[in-house]
Amino acid sequence: MAVELRRVVLLGNPNVGKSALFGALTGLHVNVSNYPGTTVEVSRGTLPGGIEVLDSPGLNSLAGGSEDERVAAAVVRELRDTKGGVVLQVADAKNLRRALLITFQLGQLGVPTVLALNMADEAEERGIRVDASALADSVGVPVVATVATTRRGVEQVRAALPHARPPANHLPIAPDAAIDIGRWLDGHEVHPAHVARYHAALLGCADRIARRVTSAPAIPTQPALRTLGRIAVHPVWGWPILAAVLGAMFLVVGLLGAQVLVDLLEERLFGGLVSPFVVSLASLLPWRLLGDLIAGPYGLVTMGLSYGLAIVLPIVTTFFLAFALLEDSGYLPRLAVMADRGFRLLGLNGKAVLPMVLGLGCDTMATLTTRILPTRKERILATLLLALGIPCSAQLGVILAMLSAVPPLFGFVWAGAVATVMLVVGLIAARVLPGERGAFLVELPPLRRPSLENVLAKTAARVEWYLKEALPLFLVGTLALFVLDRTGALAAVIRLGEPIVVTALGLPAEASAAFLIGFLRRDFAATRLFDMSRHGALTDAQTVVAMVTITLFIPCVANVLVIAKERGARASAVIAAVVFPVAILGGMAARLVLAVLGIGG
Amino acid sequence: MAAITCPMCGFEFVPGGPACRVSGCPMAVGGCHTHHCPRCGHAMPDEDWSVLARWVRRLFGRGAPAAATLAGLSPGESAVVDKLTGDGALLAGLTAQGLVPGARLTLVQRAPAYVIEIGETTLALEHAVAEGIWLLPGDDAGPREPVEASR
Repeated sequence: MAVELRRVVLLGNPNVGKSALFGALTGLHVNVSNYPGTTVEVSRGTLPGGIEVLDSPGLNSLAGGSEDERVAAAVVRELRDTKGGVVLQVADAKNLRRALLITFQLGQLGVPTVLALNMADEAEERGIRVDASALADSVGVPVVATVATTRRGVEQVRAALPHARPPANHLPIAPDAAIDIGRWLDGHEVHPAHVARYHAALLGCADRIARRVTSAPAIPTQPALRTLGRIAVHPVWGWPILAAVLGAMFLVVGLLGAQVLVDLLEERLFGGLVSPFVVSLASLLPWRLLGDLIAGPYGLVTMGLSYGLAIVLPIVTTFFLAFALLEDSGYLPRLAVMADRGFRLLGLNGKAVLPMVLGLGCDTMATLTTRILPTRKERILATLLLALGIPCSAQLGVILAMLSAVPPLFGFVWAGAVATVMLVVGLIAARVLPGERGAFLVELPPLRRPSLENVLAKTAARVEWYLKEALPLFLVGTLALFVLDRTGALAAVIRLGEPIVVTALGLPAEASAAFLIGFLRRDFAATRLFDMSRHGALTDAQTVVAMVTITLFIPCVANVLVIAKERGARASAVIAAVVFPVAILGGMAARLVLAVLGIGG
Repeated sequence: MAAITCPMCGFEFVPGGPACRVSGCPMAVGGCHTHHCPRCGHAMPDEDWSVLARWVRRLFGRGAPAAATLAGLSPGESAVVDKLTGDGALLAGLTAQGLVPGARLTLVQRAPAYVIEIGETTLALEHAVAEGIWLLPGDDAGPREPVEASR
């Protein structure tokens, strides 16, 4: 049956390689990752002939209740109402029963489908054999075995797409267990208990077919990775592994990024070559003002570009690299298991560890990820804690660089102050906010060796995103400081900030300028403080107080906007109103602790 | 969860049932670990929750004779799911991930979270969810009741 093909939607359970197959089909690269719930947005690409291809978030059922599943269901609903629309369902060849649950639902909807049995290589290694033609006969759709990562079967999938057919829809399900999935997609509410019965009935049928067409596994999957996957959540051995993972991340980001690469770019490239060159170039300009704008103390090149490119860029790049490795290895859900107990104290679910870790990359992206949390209370709590105490990679890197310059004891005061403030605010907020914590349930995908190509492509995409989003703000911030400085307003602001900055925090008055740009981006402010401490404008104790304050400070403009978009303007205002005084109080507390320890300046 | 009888006043009730107010109860901070009689207020410990209590029971050789729910299963053991109880939306998620009555599961570990394997699927879940996963006694897959949701 020939269909005029217009649009193809990739659909499937989480972690079956949908995004990888999407990349192999379209040649376009998207977020390919191993945690259930990272592809929240729908990626688009095209096939030769102008056929539109859409990737969709992983789903376990079209009647599922999670945010991701609703997005995927909405994509299918749109497809059902489009002529020439085809679903390319991607299945894990090893876990056919769960894929068939979705296939049956597509059959109920009558959507033309092609089934790709992906990760066929993993299945073969395990001795699992799926009889594709027998499966095609029972389900009534073309079935193709694929290995998306090596592009095996990709051409056959492309060739099969025009022959897509609606899956067979004659399942022996008791009428009281059935749900009209078409009406469900149109917004017809069904009692969740009914949904559970319906899933159970569908899986009963899926089991029968899967058993008939699959040969049982003879060989356990890559034993080393399987064992590692198990001990990564072990009550005892899980902790050393967690420590090793965090330690490795610190080595890559803190040492390689924040020290080796920053030294290379900041000192050698900008300090030694670019800045002197630009300064001498600027001195040739006829107008002094223009020269200062480019190369003065608040110059676009000497401050804006050198902060953004030489200090922050190497740090975010190494962080994104480390994070992509974690994501693709499948370790993140295991981290959620290890963190669940601790997060329970803060009224959160172990799943909240994902936005928290992601927040170490960028709080703005992480705020979007809080969607994966089951209840509204948890989403607000996680957003608050992110905005308050999770430094983004740029800021963290700068802070790590500052820490390396002060004695270790000062570092512990910083870490202790930030952790205590987070804990206190979290404990109070968890009691004050109405609502409940959702039950902890997470799927653990097998640990996999990350593909170098995926990791590098993902890192590149995130770095590009950082450059487009943050660098303009660095330049705008520098420009604003320049204008304020020239008009004399900066001196006024510094005077205005004196009671807080000088009296309460005991910092030099010039630090006010740093906090002022902190309203734009925290990392920008931290970079300014880093610059001050390196040039001897801050004592060790003052450095720590400034670091605590700026770690807890208002997040960047982009984050505030995303908070307002995701949680509403009111929640955003409340969060800002909590964070600002807490940051000042945290700084004052750190000053007090240092004074008590007898090392305060 | 099965009904229990209050040793103080003899009232019979189901812990976690409608008479119980888990949210807002000052004793339930960080999870509810005691059973309070709704009539007289007498408090009994939740032995399922206590590692020590389970250990003592095992010492006397009558610890959890038939693992009624997943919470009573020991690591390494395998059983067939009988029925599921609990929050409806949670059950819809569990069933979509392949945990349905009739499925065989293997418990890998109990802490820091329960980890179970159902065929090629591995799930991690907390104690409260495990208590709603009822298992068939022995190894036979008998007739099954459907899923029961509390809401």
